[in-house]
Amino acid sequence: MTDMEREDGTTRDELVQRVALMEAMIAEGRQSTARWGWVFVMWGLIYFAAMAWVVFLPFKEWAWPVCIAVGIVVSVVKGRQRRSKGENQRSRSLAAVWQIFSAGITLYVIGAIASGHGTQSAYYAAIMFFIGLAHGTSARILRWGAQGMAAAVWCAGGLAMFFFTTQDEILAIFLIATFFGMILFGLYAMWLERRRAAGMVQAHA
Amino acid sequence: MAEFEQEDGMTRDDLVQRVALMEAMIAEGRQYTGRNAWIFVLWGLVDLTAWAWQNYSPHFGGPWAWPICLTAGVVLTLAGKKIRKSDKGYSSNDVCSRVMGVWGMMGLAMGIYVASAMLTNFSWQYSYVAGLLMMFGMAHAISAMFLHWRMQGLVAAVYWAGGVAIFVCNSWRATNTIMLIEMGVVMVLFGLYAMGREAKGSGCKGERA
Repeated sequence: MTDMEREDGTTRDELVQRVALMEAMIAEGRQSTARWGWVFVMWGLIYFAAMAWVVFLPFKEWAWPVCIAVGIVVSVVKGRQRRSKGENQRSRSLAAVWQIFSAGITLYVIGAIASGHGTQSAYYAAIMFFIGLAHGTSARILRWGAQGMAAAVWCAGGLAMFFFTTQDEILAIFLIATFFGMILFGLYAMWLERRRAAGMVQAHA
Repeated sequence: MAEFEQEDGMTRDDLVQRVALMEAMIAEGRQYTGRNAWIFVLWGLVDLTAWAWQNYSPHFGGPWAWPICLTAGVVLTLAGKKIRKSDKGYSSNDVCSRVMGVWGMMGLAMGIYVASAMLTNFSWQYSYVAGLLMMFGMAHAISAMFLHWRMQGLVAAVYWAGGVAIFVCNSWRATNTIMLIEMGVVMVLFGLYAMGREAKGSGCKGERA
């Protein structure tokens, strides 16, 4: 048995190949997330719009259902147009992670609102933890510090929801988390994608 | 250009190699879950103990039942993980590390969620308990998707159904019962099932179950 051969018979070449494949997949996964950066920005703006509607406009009870329905429709339509060929196993995994979290959050929100529990502190906290968990899982898969920060922002917001319970405080926490953990992160991802695209153009010029 | 050669120059052999590697990783990932299934059993027993303590001996430190049992659970998990890591043949691949990442993040988020809810006395709210079950369901669903494991997908569905049922039933008695079934019985049963598969070695084949 050579030095680099493990007990399970994996050779050095196989290990190098595995590492190279994983690194390529991580890079592709990040690119894929960056390509979808606009989704984070869009959802951040939708949250802002819904909260502004609740505060300033009539028919407040329709604010969240309408804004979220619009967000889902735009995500699906634009998402279909932008679906790219360069998907690997990791980016498909990431897409599935976000789909699972979306399905879970949707079920939870519908259940809570329909049963009249949509105003409890634990409800707001749980939603923020769900989003934090989705960002955290994605960050862990991509080994991406910036997304890890977004996860930390959402979890910190969830934690704060238990300690600050007035309507104004809840609104402020949600706005801050949305801005830093959704809009700013989305803009950063979009900037990364734009820089990568510009680099590719220069390389081909 | 060969029939199997794509635009990016990947040949049929490359594809076969990739598929084989992914299948091996998925099989290893299931093995990894099986090796760590004792954690599900442990946490199921921790939850059952805390539940029984709180319900049957409320005057004997009842309010401390959950904090004490959860702390003991964390200590036992960390100790067990340390012992298992020193075992021979402990390896982890990409899929294992993703599954590990999901559960690690879930553990961290849930730890903060539970601790802060208990500290601020919000753990009586239905949305708190439903949130716990939904979070567990999400972690199981993602892990099931990574491992192509239908049984774990079913467990995820059971957790989500429990979360929704808490809102639908809207009573503390129902919430208590659902919590007992989900956090105790389902967790222990799935842990025992995964341990059984690992013991049989059938988890290595990577087949759908």
